[in-house]
Amino acid sequence: MKKILWIASLLLLPMTMNVQAAGGYSIELESAENNIRDQESLKRGAVLFSNYCMACHSLKYMRYNRVARDLGWSDDEVITEMAHGLNTVTENVMTRMNDGVARAVLGSDAPDLSLMARLKGDDYIYTFLRAYHQDEQGKWDNSVLKGTAMPNVLEGIQRHASPDEYAEVARDITNFLAYAGEPSKLERLDLGWKVIAFLLVLLLLLYLLKREYWRDIKH
Amino acid sequence: MSNQTNESSSGKSSLLGWFDERYPVSSTWNKHVGEYYAPKNFNFWYFFGSLALIVLVNQIVTGIWLTMSYQPSNAEAFNSVEYIMRDVEWGWLLRYLHSTGASAFFIVVYLHMMRALLYGSYKKPRELVWVIGMLLFLVLMGEAFMGYLLPWGQMSFWGAQVIISLFGAIPVIGPDLALWIRGDFVISEVTLNRFFALHVIALPLVLVILVFMHLVALHHVGSNNPDGIEIKKLKDNKGIPLDGIRFHPYYSVKDAMGAVFFFILFALVLFYAPEGGGYFIEAPNFEPANPLKTPDHIVPVWYFTPFYAILRAIPDKFLGVVAMGAAVVILFALPWLDRCKVKSIRYRGNSYKVLLTILVISFFVLGFLGTQPSTPLYTKLAQIFTALYFMFFLVLPFTSANEKTKPVPERVT
Repeated sequence: MKKILWIASLLLLPMTMNVQAAGGYSIELESAENNIRDQESLKRGAVLFSNYCMACHSLKYMRYNRVARDLGWSDDEVITEMAHGLNTVTENVMTRMNDGVARAVLGSDAPDLSLMARLKGDDYIYTFLRAYHQDEQGKWDNSVLKGTAMPNVLEGIQRHASPDEYAEVARDITNFLAYAGEPSKLERLDLGWKVIAFLLVLLLLLYLLKREYWRDIKH
Repeated sequence: MSNQTNESSSGKSSLLGWFDERYPVSSTWNKHVGEYYAPKNFNFWYFFGSLALIVLVNQIVTGIWLTMSYQPSNAEAFNSVEYIMRDVEWGWLLRYLHSTGASAFFIVVYLHMMRALLYGSYKKPRELVWVIGMLLFLVLMGEAFMGYLLPWGQMSFWGAQVIISLFGAIPVIGPDLALWIRGDFVISEVTLNRFFALHVIALPLVLVILVFMHLVALHHVGSNNPDGIEIKKLKDNKGIPLDGIRFHPYYSVKDAMGAVFFFILFALVLFYAPEGGGYFIEAPNFEPANPLKTPDHIVPVWYFTPFYAILRAIPDKFLGVVAMGAAVVILFALPWLDRCKVKSIRYRGNSYKVLLTILVISFFVLGFLGTQPSTPLYTKLAQIFTALYFMFFLVLPFTSANEKTKPVPERVT
């Protein structure tokens, strides 16, 4: 039994060590402390995403009606909140910018953000959004990704809102992108313990069955 | 159906009898399950064979359903995986079952091989069980490698690029060989399509046939056990091994219990850490393959990292490829490199215990080093542990020939 536990813990060991292959950012990442179960935060994040990000970025793997279903909006609401009534619910969440404009204006295409949270992590997005600063000449830069082509879209909030409000805006956007990275995540988390509970009962029954059969065997 | 029509020469008058006359239903069942006598002292290490079979079934079944929605093309491969994750009913579950299953397969197989090393399961008369098993391992590595290209993420693309380019290091034929494998000058849709074909039909077919042969060979010679005793030596007057028990029901219920215990660990990863801390699904693979942008560190999936570390430890590229290949191929020769008559580590001398410990430590350290970017220190370490890894196989023939073994008991303990 001791051996079994030993091996079992050995198998789970890698899970506890996070590989950050893409690590090595110039500053330490702040903890986003977002919660994908917080539906209000996700809704705020979706609206903020629509207003501040979608001018350039898309979420091409998300459909409006999926967002509505998962965030607790009706089909009409999601179009009002996220698309200013301009799209239909079966459309994917695409940028409002035409192809090539970002490259022409900013020098780089704006990446699709569907999987950014899974690629870089929630903390990266949160820290990145908050890492804009201005030098003496008034030039903006980002201390997470130096020389990024992305302008500081949250400048107005950074300047005029309280630090807490500013943090919450970044957290809500991060939260929405974390959700968009894996929309089925909550379903996964909520199904898992039920499956495991069932398996534990089954394990007990099989253990008793095995013990019953093995009574015959003399050692 | 009347009984008269079913009368058989053996006197059986049943539906089963009707089939038995035409197909060896009962005798096959009895040979492999019902009257297959296995030693009664199997311990924890003996679960991994049946678990490997279960994982294989999982991979095949989930693989079939993934194939229904996956599209092997440059434009759609990555998209179709996200389509499975988001739009296909239970697609996320199928995909995670398959991706977690791939890592689980290697965990289970490595432990299964470890069992053979502990109890000498590769020794006479089980050399062919071992050799077929090694072929299985080799095909499994190919299967996993090709499967990893299919999500068409950055690590899929660049991992495959690195591995296939290794063939290019072979003198004379190398460049043409690499070209032949890729079917193109770089990894492209052509490569993706052929890997898809090999991954979903060719190699699984070979795997299933080899598993069948592995079991036929095993059931022909009989199972080894933690004491390394041949239970067929001592039989009762009915010809049944004194220390043998029927596989069914005794080991079928025991293995079922082990399987459920394994499912619990599997479910913990599947539902709560499907990326396996970045080891089972690597983060850069959430970015579509881009031939123009090389990732900072190209890291193979964890189950290849020990061999990858050996490759990088050797300064010369071709010799590195040779060493990496040798690290796998040398395992085939194990039944003949180990000359000790005693099978189980319980009764073997200290030299084998020391050597095996060094081998296991080397394997783990190399596995870790393979996940890390190479630094001068890590390269040095990789060289040391590569030497230690091979030392096991080079020293073993000499130490095992005159090992100070303990007396082996007559009956299993």
